[in-house]
Amino acid sequence: MPNGAAPPPTAPRTRRSLAVFALIGAALMAALDEIVFHQILHWHHFYDRSTPGIGLLSDGLLHTAELGALVAGGVLYADLRRLRALSPAHARAGFVLGLGGFQLFDGVVDHKLLRLHQIRYGVDVTPYDWAWNAAGLLLLLLGAVLAVRARRTGDRRADA
Amino acid sequence: MRPSAAAAAADGHPAGAFGLVVAAVALAATAAYVLAALRLRARGDAWPQWRDASFAAGCLAIAHAMMMPLPGGPFTAHMVHHVVTAMAAPVLVVLGRPLTLLLRTVPPGRVRRGFLGVAHSRPAAWLLFPPVAALLDMGGLWLLHRSPLLAAAHHRPVLGAAVQAHLLAAGLLFAFSVCRLDPVRHRWGLAVRGTTLFVAGAAHAVLAKTLYAVPPPGTAFAASDLRDGARLMYYGGDLVELALAGVLAVEWYTRRGRALRPRARRAAAPGRLEPAAGGRRFT
Repeated sequence: MPNGAAPPPTAPRTRRSLAVFALIGAALMAALDEIVFHQILHWHHFYDRSTPGIGLLSDGLLHTAELGALVAGGVLYADLRRLRALSPAHARAGFVLGLGGFQLFDGVVDHKLLRLHQIRYGVDVTPYDWAWNAAGLLLLLLGAVLAVRARRTGDRRADA
Repeated sequence: MRPSAAAAAADGHPAGAFGLVVAAVALAATAAYVLAALRLRARGDAWPQWRDASFAAGCLAIAHAMMMPLPGGPFTAHMVHHVVTAMAAPVLVVLGRPLTLLLRTVPPGRVRRGFLGVAHSRPAAWLLFPPVAALLDMGGLWLLHRSPLLAAAHHRPVLGAAVQAHLLAAGLLFAFSVCRLDPVRHRWGLAVRGTTLFVAGAAHAVLAKTLYAVPPPGTAFAASDLRDGARLMYYGGDLVELALAGVLAVEWYTRRGRALRPRARRAAAPGRLEPAAGGRRFT
Protein backbone atom coordinates (compact mmCIF):
# COMPACT_ATOMS: atom_id res chain seq x y z
CA MET A 1 0.00 0.00 0.00
CA PRO A 2 1.35 3.39 -0.91
CA ASN A 3 0.83 5.01 2.49
CA GLY A 4 2.90 2.31 4.16
CA ALA A 5 0.34 1.44 6.81
CA ALA A 6 -0.52 -2.22 6.41
CA PRO A 7 -3.98 -3.15 7.57
CA PRO A 8 -4.10 -4.87 10.93
CA PRO A 9 -3.99 -8.66 10.92
CA THR A 10 -7.48 -10.05 11.05
CA ALA A 11 -8.62 -13.47 12.18
CA PRO A 12 -7.73 -16.08 9.54
CA ARG A 13 -10.57 -16.46 7.08
CA THR A 14 -10.61 -20.21 6.85
CA ARG A 15 -13.53 -20.69 4.48
CA ARG A 16 -12.33 -17.98 2.16
CA SER A 17 -8.80 -19.43 2.15
CA LEU A 18 -10.20 -22.83 1.23
CA ALA A 19 -12.52 -21.49 -1.47
CA VAL A 20 -9.91 -19.24 -3.08
CA PHE A 21 -7.39 -22.06 -3.27
CA ALA A 22 -9.99 -24.52 -4.57
CA LEU A 23 -10.56 -22.02 -7.40
CA ILE A 24 -6.83 -21.74 -8.06
CA GLY A 25 -6.39 -25.53 -7.90
CA ALA A 26 -9.20 -26.20 -10.37
CA ALA A 27 -7.95 -23.53 -12.78
CA LEU A 28 -4.37 -24.82 -12.54
CA MET A 29 -5.46 -28.40 -13.20
CA ALA A 30 -7.37 -27.20 -16.25
CA ALA A 31 -4.31 -25.29 -17.45
CA LEU A 32 -2.08 -28.34 -16.82
CA ASP A 33 -4.48 -30.50 -18.83
CA GLU A 34 -4.24 -28.02 -21.70
CA ILE A 35 -0.45 -27.83 -21.54
CA VAL A 36 0.47 -31.46 -20.86
CA PHE A 37 -2.16 -33.46 -22.73
CA HIS A 38 -2.96 -31.07 -25.57
CA GLN A 39 0.33 -29.31 -26.19
CA ILE A 40 3.13 -31.64 -25.07
CA LEU A 41 1.82 -35.18 -25.47
CA HIS A 42 -0.72 -34.39 -28.21
CA TRP A 43 -2.93 -37.12 -26.74
CA HIS A 44 -6.07 -34.98 -26.56
CA HIS A 45 -7.30 -33.51 -29.80
CA PHE A 46 -7.87 -29.78 -30.11
CA TYR A 47 -11.19 -30.55 -31.77
CA ASP A 48 -12.62 -33.99 -32.07
CA ARG A 49 -14.98 -34.03 -35.05
CA SER A 50 -17.51 -36.11 -33.14
CA THR A 51 -17.97 -33.31 -30.59
CA PRO A 52 -21.60 -32.17 -30.54
CA GLY A 53 -22.48 -28.47 -30.60
CA ILE A 54 -23.49 -28.34 -26.96
CA GLY A 55 -20.15 -29.88 -26.01
CA LEU A 56 -18.32 -27.25 -28.00
CA LEU A 57 -20.26 -24.49 -26.26
CA SER A 58 -19.64 -25.90 -22.79
CA ASP A 59 -15.96 -26.32 -23.67
CA GLY A 60 -15.72 -22.67 -24.70
CA LEU A 61 -17.45 -21.50 -21.52
CA LEU A 62 -15.32 -23.75 -19.33
CA HIS A 63 -12.08 -22.75 -20.99
CA THR A 64 -12.91 -19.06 -20.61
CA ALA A 65 -14.00 -19.59 -17.01
CA GLU A 66 -10.71 -21.33 -16.26
CA LEU A 67 -8.72 -18.32 -17.44
CA GLY A 68 -10.94 -15.99 -15.44
CA ALA A 69 -10.62 -18.24 -12.39
CA LEU A 70 -6.84 -18.15 -12.62
CA VAL A 71 -6.83 -14.34 -12.55
CA ALA A 72 -9.61 -14.06 -9.95
CA GLY A 73 -7.93 -16.66 -7.73
CA GLY A 74 -4.63 -14.81 -7.96
CA VAL A 75 -6.10 -11.45 -6.97
CA LEU A 76 -8.23 -12.95 -4.18
CA TYR A 77 -5.10 -14.61 -2.82
CA ALA A 78 -3.26 -11.27 -2.96
CA ASP A 79 -6.16 -9.71 -1.06
CA LEU A 80 -6.06 -12.42 1.64
CA ARG A 81 -2.34 -11.81 2.06
CA ARG A 82 -2.86 -8.09 2.28
CA LEU A 83 -5.43 -8.66 5.04
CA ARG A 84 -3.08 -11.19 6.63
CA ALA A 85 -6.09 -13.47 6.84
CA LEU A 86 -4.75 -16.49 4.95
CA SER A 87 -5.05 -19.83 6.71
CA PRO A 88 -2.30 -21.97 5.09
CA ALA A 89 -3.77 -25.30 6.21
CA HIS A 90 -7.16 -24.51 4.70
CA ALA A 91 -5.50 -23.12 1.59
CA ARG A 92 -3.60 -26.39 1.08
CA ALA A 93 -6.76 -28.44 1.54
CA GLY A 94 -8.67 -26.21 -0.88
CA PHE A 95 -5.90 -26.42 -3.46
CA VAL A 96 -5.88 -30.24 -3.48
CA LEU A 97 -9.69 -30.35 -3.51
CA GLY A 98 -9.68 -28.03 -6.51
CA LEU A 99 -7.12 -30.15 -8.36
CA GLY A 100 -9.06 -33.36 -7.74
CA GLY A 101 -12.43 -31.79 -8.38
CA PHE A 102 -11.47 -30.55 -11.81
CA GLN A 103 -9.70 -33.80 -12.73
CA LEU A 104 -12.79 -35.84 -11.90
CA PHE A 105 -15.13 -33.35 -13.58
CA ASP A 106 -12.99 -33.39 -16.71
CA GLY A 107 -12.86 -37.18 -16.73
CA VAL A 108 -16.57 -37.74 -16.21
CA VAL A 109 -18.35 -34.75 -17.77
CA ASP A 110 -15.96 -33.60 -20.51
CA HIS A 111 -14.62 -36.94 -21.68
CA LYS A 112 -17.64 -39.18 -21.15
CA LEU A 113 -20.88 -37.19 -20.92
CA LEU A 114 -20.10 -34.42 -23.41
CA ARG A 115 -17.55 -36.48 -25.36
CA LEU A 116 -15.43 -33.40 -26.08
CA HIS A 117 -12.37 -35.51 -26.71
CA GLN A 118 -10.88 -38.71 -25.36
CA ILE A 119 -7.72 -39.06 -23.30
CA ARG A 120 -5.96 -40.88 -26.10
CA TYR A 121 -6.82 -42.01 -29.59
CA GLY A 122 -6.08 -45.28 -31.35
CA VAL A 123 -5.90 -47.35 -28.18
CA ASP A 124 -8.36 -48.93 -25.76
CA VAL A 125 -9.28 -45.90 -23.70
CA THR A 126 -10.77 -47.79 -20.71
CA PRO A 127 -7.59 -48.09 -18.58
CA TYR A 128 -6.80 -44.45 -19.27
CA ASP A 129 -10.26 -43.41 -18.14
CA TRP A 130 -9.92 -45.47 -14.95
CA ALA A 131 -6.49 -44.04 -14.17
CA TRP A 132 -7.67 -40.50 -14.91
CA ASN A 133 -10.76 -40.67 -12.70
CA ALA A 134 -9.05 -42.64 -9.93
CA ALA A 135 -6.36 -39.94 -9.78
CA GLY A 136 -9.07 -37.31 -9.48
CA LEU A 137 -10.84 -39.27 -6.75
CA LEU A 138 -7.60 -39.79 -4.81
CA LEU A 139 -6.84 -36.07 -4.93
CA LEU A 140 -10.37 -35.30 -3.74
CA LEU A 141 -10.00 -37.73 -0.81
CA LEU A 142 -6.61 -36.28 0.10
CA GLY A 143 -8.13 -32.81 -0.02
CA ALA A 144 -11.00 -33.90 2.24
CA VAL A 145 -8.53 -35.34 4.78
CA LEU A 146 -6.50 -32.13 4.72
CA ALA A 147 -9.67 -30.06 5.16
CA VAL A 148 -10.74 -32.07 8.21
CA ARG A 149 -7.28 -31.80 9.71
CA ALA A 150 -7.12 -28.05 9.03
CA ARG A 151 -10.46 -27.64 10.76
CA ARG A 152 -9.40 -29.63 13.82
CA THR A 153 -6.15 -27.68 14.17
CA GLY A 154 -8.12 -24.45 13.84
CA ASP A 155 -10.55 -25.56 16.58
CA ARG A 156 -7.70 -26.50 18.90
CA ARG A 157 -6.10 -23.11 18.36
CA ALA A 158 -9.38 -21.38 19.04
CA ASP A 159 -9.76 -23.34 22.30
CA ALA A 160 -6.24 -22.57 23.51
CA MET B 1 -7.67 -19.43 -52.12
CA ARG B 2 -5.24 -17.06 -53.74
CA PRO B 3 -5.77 -13.52 -52.60
CA SER B 4 -5.50 -11.04 -55.43
CA ALA B 5 -3.74 -7.76 -54.81
CA ALA B 6 -7.04 -5.88 -54.96
CA ALA B 7 -8.68 -8.12 -52.40
CA ALA B 8 -5.74 -8.08 -50.06
CA ALA B 9 -7.40 -5.61 -47.70
CA ALA B 10 -9.57 -8.31 -46.19
CA ASP B 11 -6.74 -10.70 -45.75
CA GLY B 12 -4.10 -9.03 -43.67
CA HIS B 13 -1.58 -8.85 -46.43
CA PRO B 14 0.27 -5.65 -47.23
CA ALA B 15 -2.72 -3.80 -48.35
CA GLY B 16 -3.93 -0.97 -50.45
CA ALA B 17 -5.17 2.47 -49.62
CA PHE B 18 -7.11 1.48 -46.52
CA GLY B 19 -4.12 -0.10 -44.81
CA LEU B 20 -2.00 2.93 -45.62
CA VAL B 21 -4.56 5.32 -44.17
CA VAL B 22 -4.94 3.31 -40.96
CA ALA B 23 -1.17 3.00 -40.55
CA ALA B 24 -0.75 6.76 -41.09
CA VAL B 25 -3.48 7.54 -38.55
CA ALA B 26 -1.89 5.16 -36.03
CA LEU B 27 1.53 6.77 -36.42
CA ALA B 28 0.07 10.28 -36.20
CA ALA B 29 -1.86 9.28 -33.06
CA THR B 30 1.35 8.00 -31.49
CA ALA B 31 3.16 11.26 -32.21
CA ALA B 32 0.24 13.33 -30.88
CA TYR B 33 0.03 11.18 -27.75
CA VAL B 34 3.73 11.47 -26.95
CA LEU B 35 3.68 15.25 -27.49
CA ALA B 36 0.61 15.65 -25.29
CA ALA B 37 2.14 13.50 -22.53
CA LEU B 38 5.34 15.58 -22.68
CA ARG B 39 3.30 18.76 -22.32
CA LEU B 40 1.43 17.30 -19.37
CA ARG B 41 4.66 16.36 -17.60
CA ALA B 42 6.22 19.72 -18.39
CA ARG B 43 3.41 21.45 -16.50
CA GLY B 44 3.85 19.10 -13.56
CA ASP B 45 1.08 16.51 -14.02
CA ALA B 46 1.84 12.93 -13.16
CA TRP B 47 1.48 10.71 -16.24
CA PRO B 48 3.27 7.33 -15.97
CA GLN B 49 5.74 6.54 -18.74
CA TRP B 50 4.33 3.06 -19.24
CA ARG B 51 1.10 4.56 -20.58
CA ASP B 52 3.07 6.20 -23.40
CA ALA B 53 4.83 2.91 -24.07
CA SER B 54 1.56 0.95 -24.09
CA PHE B 55 -0.26 3.35 -26.42
CA ALA B 56 2.71 3.57 -28.78
CA ALA B 57 3.12 -0.23 -28.84
CA GLY B 58 -0.56 -0.67 -29.70
CA CYS B 59 -0.46 1.89 -32.52
CA LEU B 60 2.80 0.56 -33.94
CA ALA B 61 1.41 -2.99 -33.88
CA ILE B 62 -1.62 -1.84 -35.87
CA ALA B 63 0.57 0.03 -38.36
CA HIS B 64 2.87 -2.96 -38.71
CA ALA B 65 0.04 -5.43 -39.28
CA MET B 66 -1.47 -3.11 -41.90
CA MET B 67 1.73 -2.59 -43.85
CA MET B 68 3.96 -5.65 -43.56
CA PRO B 69 3.44 -9.18 -44.91
CA LEU B 70 2.27 -11.51 -42.13
CA PRO B 71 3.53 -15.06 -41.58
CA GLY B 72 1.81 -18.30 -42.57
CA GLY B 73 -0.70 -19.27 -45.22
CA PRO B 74 -3.54 -16.91 -46.20
CA PHE B 75 -5.91 -17.96 -43.40
CA THR B 76 -3.18 -17.92 -40.74
CA ALA B 77 -2.08 -14.47 -41.91
CA HIS B 78 -5.71 -13.33 -41.74
CA MET B 79 -5.86 -14.56 -38.12
CA VAL B 80 -2.54 -12.95 -37.16
CA HIS B 81 -3.98 -9.74 -38.53
CA HIS B 82 -7.21 -10.22 -36.56
CA VAL B 83 -5.48 -11.07 -33.26
CA VAL B 84 -3.05 -8.15 -33.55
CA THR B 85 -5.27 -5.35 -34.84
CA ALA B 86 -8.65 -6.22 -33.36
CA MET B 87 -7.64 -7.79 -30.04
CA ALA B 88 -4.13 -7.21 -28.68
CA ALA B 89 -3.41 -3.71 -29.99
CA PRO B 90 -6.75 -2.26 -28.78
CA VAL B 91 -5.96 -3.37 -25.22
CA LEU B 92 -2.56 -1.65 -25.39
CA VAL B 93 -4.13 1.50 -26.85
CA VAL B 94 -6.86 1.60 -24.19
CA LEU B 95 -4.36 1.11 -21.35
CA GLY B 96 -2.78 4.40 -22.46
CA ARG B 97 -6.04 6.19 -21.44
CA PRO B 98 -6.09 8.31 -24.61
CA LEU B 99 -9.37 10.10 -23.81
CA THR B 100 -8.15 11.19 -20.37
CA LEU B 101 -4.97 12.53 -21.94
CA LEU B 102 -6.95 14.34 -24.63
CA LEU B 103 -9.28 16.01 -22.13
CA ARG B 104 -6.37 17.02 -19.96
CA THR B 105 -4.31 18.60 -22.73
CA VAL B 106 -6.93 20.37 -24.84
CA PRO B 107 -7.40 23.85 -23.31
CA PRO B 108 -10.88 24.80 -22.04
CA GLY B 109 -13.04 26.13 -24.83
CA ARG B 110 -15.23 25.03 -27.67
CA VAL B 111 -13.02 22.17 -28.84
CA ARG B 112 -12.79 20.63 -25.40
CA ARG B 113 -16.51 21.03 -24.84
CA GLY B 114 -17.06 19.28 -28.16
CA PHE B 115 -14.94 16.28 -27.12
CA LEU B 116 -16.69 16.12 -23.76
CA GLY B 117 -20.04 16.35 -25.48
CA VAL B 118 -19.22 13.34 -27.64
CA ALA B 119 -17.78 11.35 -24.73
CA HIS B 120 -20.87 12.01 -22.62
CA SER B 121 -23.43 11.71 -25.41
CA ARG B 122 -26.23 9.19 -25.32
CA PRO B 123 -25.11 7.22 -28.42
CA ALA B 124 -21.62 6.92 -26.93
CA ALA B 125 -23.15 5.65 -23.69
CA TRP B 126 -25.10 3.02 -25.63
CA LEU B 127 -22.09 1.91 -27.66
CA LEU B 128 -20.03 1.67 -24.47
CA PHE B 129 -22.60 -0.50 -22.68
CA PRO B 130 -20.36 -3.59 -22.46
CA PRO B 131 -22.84 -6.15 -23.86
CA VAL B 132 -23.51 -3.89 -26.87
CA ALA B 133 -19.79 -3.45 -27.52
CA ALA B 134 -19.29 -7.21 -27.20
CA LEU B 135 -22.17 -7.91 -29.56
CA LEU B 136 -20.74 -5.54 -32.18
CA ASP B 137 -17.31 -7.15 -31.84
CA MET B 138 -18.19 -10.85 -31.56
CA GLY B 139 -21.26 -10.54 -33.79
CA GLY B 140 -19.11 -9.03 -36.52
CA LEU B 141 -16.54 -11.76 -36.10
CA TRP B 142 -19.12 -14.57 -36.29
CA LEU B 143 -20.81 -12.95 -39.28
CA LEU B 144 -17.49 -12.59 -41.09
CA HIS B 145 -16.50 -16.23 -40.61
CA ARG B 146 -19.86 -17.97 -40.71
CA SER B 147 -21.44 -16.24 -43.68
CA PRO B 148 -20.12 -15.77 -47.22
CA LEU B 149 -18.82 -12.34 -46.13
CA LEU B 150 -15.15 -13.33 -45.90
CA ALA B 151 -15.22 -14.81 -49.38
CA ALA B 152 -17.02 -11.74 -50.74
CA ALA B 153 -14.58 -9.39 -49.04
CA HIS B 154 -11.77 -11.14 -50.89
CA HIS B 155 -13.12 -10.02 -54.21
CA ARG B 156 -14.35 -6.52 -53.32
CA PRO B 157 -11.67 -4.22 -51.91
CA VAL B 158 -14.21 -1.69 -50.62
CA LEU B 159 -16.12 -4.36 -48.74
CA GLY B 160 -12.81 -5.73 -47.44
CA ALA B 161 -11.83 -2.30 -46.14
CA ALA B 162 -15.24 -1.88 -44.50
CA VAL B 163 -14.88 -5.25 -42.78
CA GLN B 164 -11.44 -4.36 -41.51
CA ALA B 165 -12.58 -0.94 -40.32
CA HIS B 166 -15.46 -2.55 -38.42
CA LEU B 167 -13.23 -5.15 -36.76
CA LEU B 168 -10.68 -2.54 -35.71
CA ALA B 169 -13.31 -0.11 -34.39
CA ALA B 170 -15.28 -2.84 -32.62
CA GLY B 171 -12.09 -4.22 -31.06
CA LEU B 172 -11.22 -0.78 -29.71
CA LEU B 173 -14.77 -0.26 -28.48
CA PHE B 174 -14.84 -3.62 -26.70
CA ALA B 175 -11.48 -3.11 -24.97
CA PHE B 176 -12.51 0.43 -24.02
CA SER B 177 -15.85 -0.60 -22.53
CA VAL B 178 -14.44 -3.60 -20.62
CA CYS B 179 -11.45 -1.74 -19.16
CA ARG B 180 -13.37 1.52 -18.66
CA LEU B 181 -10.30 3.52 -17.64
CA ASP B 182 -11.37 6.79 -19.27
CA PRO B 183 -14.06 9.18 -18.02
CA VAL B 184 -17.27 8.46 -19.89
CA ARG B 185 -20.88 8.87 -18.96
CA HIS B 186 -21.83 5.61 -17.36
CA ARG B 187 -19.63 3.62 -15.02
CA TRP B 188 -20.66 0.03 -15.47
CA GLY B 189 -19.62 -2.11 -12.52
CA LEU B 190 -17.10 -4.91 -12.46
CA ALA B 191 -19.86 -7.56 -12.52
CA VAL B 192 -21.30 -6.37 -15.85
CA ARG B 193 -17.90 -5.93 -17.43
CA GLY B 194 -16.56 -9.22 -16.09
CA THR B 195 -19.61 -11.19 -17.24
CA THR B 196 -19.41 -9.58 -20.67
CA LEU B 197 -15.75 -10.49 -20.96
CA PHE B 198 -16.57 -14.07 -19.97
CA VAL B 199 -19.35 -14.49 -22.53
CA ALA B 200 -17.38 -12.76 -25.30
CA GLY B 201 -14.32 -14.91 -24.53
CA ALA B 202 -16.42 -18.06 -24.80
CA ALA B 203 -17.97 -16.90 -28.10
CA HIS B 204 -14.48 -16.29 -29.44
CA ALA B 205 -13.18 -19.70 -28.27
CA VAL B 206 -16.16 -21.57 -29.76
CA LEU B 207 -15.77 -19.80 -33.11
CA ALA B 208 -12.05 -20.65 -33.14
CA LYS B 209 -12.79 -24.34 -32.47
CA THR B 210 -15.40 -24.58 -35.21
CA LEU B 211 -13.05 -22.91 -37.68
CA TYR B 212 -10.55 -25.67 -36.95
CA ALA B 213 -12.87 -28.17 -38.60
CA VAL B 214 -15.14 -26.14 -40.88
CA PRO B 215 -13.78 -23.30 -43.07
CA PRO B 216 -15.76 -20.09 -43.61
CA PRO B 217 -18.36 -20.68 -46.35
CA GLY B 218 -17.16 -20.06 -49.89
CA THR B 219 -13.47 -20.35 -49.06
CA ALA B 220 -11.06 -23.20 -49.73
CA PHE B 221 -8.09 -22.81 -47.42
CA ALA B 222 -5.64 -25.69 -47.05
CA ALA B 223 -6.46 -27.88 -44.03
CA SER B 224 -3.15 -27.22 -42.28
CA ASP B 225 -3.52 -23.46 -42.86
CA LEU B 226 -7.04 -23.56 -41.41
CA ARG B 227 -5.88 -25.46 -38.33
CA ASP B 228 -2.92 -23.18 -37.66
CA GLY B 229 -5.16 -20.14 -38.02
CA ALA B 230 -7.85 -21.56 -35.72
CA ARG B 231 -5.30 -22.49 -33.04
CA LEU B 232 -3.75 -19.05 -33.26
CA MET B 233 -7.18 -17.47 -32.85
CA TYR B 234 -7.95 -19.68 -29.83
CA TYR B 235 -4.71 -19.20 -27.91
CA GLY B 236 -4.29 -15.59 -29.00
CA GLY B 237 -7.78 -14.95 -27.65
CA ASP B 238 -6.70 -16.57 -24.36
CA LEU B 239 -3.80 -14.17 -23.92
CA VAL B 240 -5.96 -11.13 -24.62
CA GLU B 241 -8.65 -12.39 -22.27
CA LEU B 242 -6.06 -12.89 -19.54
CA ALA B 243 -4.85 -9.34 -20.07
CA LEU B 244 -8.37 -7.90 -19.87
CA ALA B 245 -9.18 -10.00 -16.79
CA GLY B 246 -5.93 -8.71 -15.28
CA VAL B 247 -7.08 -5.12 -15.82
CA LEU B 248 -10.36 -5.86 -14.02
CA ALA B 249 -8.52 -7.67 -11.21
CA VAL B 250 -6.15 -4.75 -10.65
CA GLU B 251 -9.13 -2.37 -10.53
CA TRP B 252 -10.86 -4.54 -7.90
CA TYR B 253 -7.69 -4.85 -5.84
CA THR B 254 -6.98 -1.11 -5.90
CA ARG B 255 -10.54 -0.20 -5.05
CA ARG B 256 -10.62 -2.60 -2.13
CA GLY B 257 -7.26 -1.29 -0.96
CA ARG B 258 -8.69 2.21 -0.90
CA ALA B 259 -11.67 1.02 1.13
CA LEU B 260 -9.32 -0.67 3.61
CA ARG B 261 -7.07 2.33 4.12
CA PRO B 262 -9.14 4.19 6.73
CA ARG B 263 -9.21 1.01 8.80
CA ALA B 264 -5.42 0.77 8.57
CA ARG B 265 -5.03 4.34 9.73
CA ARG B 266 -7.33 3.76 12.67
CA ALA B 267 -5.30 0.75 13.68
CA ALA B 268 -2.03 2.68 13.37
CA ALA B 269 -3.25 5.43 15.69
CA PRO B 270 -5.69 3.87 18.15
CA GLY B 271 -7.83 6.21 20.16
CA ARG B 272 -7.40 9.17 17.87
CA LEU B 273 -10.80 8.72 16.40
CA GLU B 274 -12.57 8.28 19.71
CA PRO B 275 -12.54 11.75 21.23
CA ALA B 276 -15.01 10.81 23.95
CA ALA B 277 -12.72 8.18 25.44
CA GLY B 278 -10.13 10.35 27.18
CA GLY B 279 -11.27 13.85 26.38
CA ARG B 280 -12.09 16.30 29.10
CA ARG B 281 -15.56 17.68 28.93
CA PHE B 282 -16.55 21.22 29.67
CA THR B 283 -19.67 21.36 31.64
